[in-house]
Amino acid sequence: MTRQEWAGTTYGNEWMHRWLIRLLQHIDTRVMYAFVALFVIPVCLILNPSRGIIYRYFRQRIGYGRMKSAWKTYVNHCLFGQVVIDKFAMYAGKKFNIQIEGNERFTELTKQKEGFMLLSAHIGNYEIAGYTLVSKEKRIKALVFAGEKASVKRNRSKMFAETNTDMIAIQPDMSHLFEIDKALTDGEIVSMSADRINGSPKFIEHDFLGTSQVEHTSDAQSHGAKAKFPLGPFAIATARSVNILAVNVMKSSLRGYKIYVTPLRYDKSAPRQEQIRQLSDAYVSELERLVRRYPTQWYNYFDFWDESPKHSDERTKLSAESQRKHD
Amino acid sequence: MEQLIKDLKLQIKEVLNLEELSLEDFDTDAPLFGDEGIGLDSIDVLEIIVLLEKEYGIRLANPKEGKAIFKSVRTIAEYVQQNRKK
Repeated sequence: MTRQEWAGTTYGNEWMHRWLIRLLQHIDTRVMYAFVALFVIPVCLILNPSRGIIYRYFRQRIGYGRMKSAWKTYVNHCLFGQVVIDKFAMYAGKKFNIQIEGNERFTELTKQKEGFMLLSAHIGNYEIAGYTLVSKEKRIKALVFAGEKASVKRNRSKMFAETNTDMIAIQPDMSHLFEIDKALTDGEIVSMSADRINGSPKFIEHDFLGTSQVEHTSDAQSHGAKAKFPLGPFAIATARSVNILAVNVMKSSLRGYKIYVTPLRYDKSAPRQEQIRQLSDAYVSELERLVRRYPTQWYNYFDFWDESPKHSDERTKLSAESQRKHD
Repeated sequence: MEQLIKDLKLQIKEVLNLEELSLEDFDTDAPLFGDEGIGLDSIDVLEIIVLLEKEYGIRLANPKEGKAIFKSVRTIAEYVQQNRKK
């Protein structure tokens, strides 16, 4: 699956989601974890191209050997199954042990008049943050995919209603931009991911998980690790000169999560293009730090470092566009 | 109105870094978005929203208005003329 084809929706239909929530109200999540690891993941690994994508990620980006990469590919899929189960377990009313590192940064910003942004990524289980990092002073507006399944939207709304959080759905008519901008100028918090390109095709390229930091580089293809990140979140933040926190939630045990809240700094007096560069640099560095600490919790199941000729051409075209605007 | 259109074109060119686009080629009535016109996208809209606020004191908050306002430079100019605070 390529970046351009990403569906942006939780797997399964509404009936499956309802069934899963009902089941999780009665059984331990660990029973579900075991069932998924033994019977679901092996089938997924046979049928799904994500197997090759994640194997290459471990080989080329993390630098594991063949056997270790194969094993970690299985572990990665099991962990992804677990975080999906955990998401539905939360909908079913189950609680998790959650630790927060850097919560004071969040609290400090909620007390200020100005709005700010939370930037996340598709690692760990970000949705947990939405139910944990809560502010009485400021409403959080979370950017979500408009095409998400109704059952997920309904349950999110129910959970968010208790946490002073609203959702902004990404719309083709760009109306979400007005809502984001209004939220920030009204002093609210806007939360979005900044690792996948959605809506605008503009992007900014960064070295991400390059070979310089890979321990065992045995694969010739591992040289060069340019990855595309969406320009939008960084353009929005710098347009309004707001403060930014990177928020990533990593699974630390069967029933535990750790939330990492890290300020992303940039020089607000620098030329705009430089601000975007500095901010995206800070975001990518924090993402890399956590991916290296929790390599099995990387859940971007598409060619994040797309090297195929077709997409290289597309990237060249878009890079030129991006250069035009940001050089 | 003509002066406002010219100012807007210059400001949009600057904020979006459209250096290769001359003022003569910047058609006042051409669609700003999509393949037929200049080909701007959602991030460019955001830049123009911020521009209108900074230069003309106009705060656009109604998403329903957006599509009609950002149709072309002329529609932006008409909206600015009617709503400017600076």
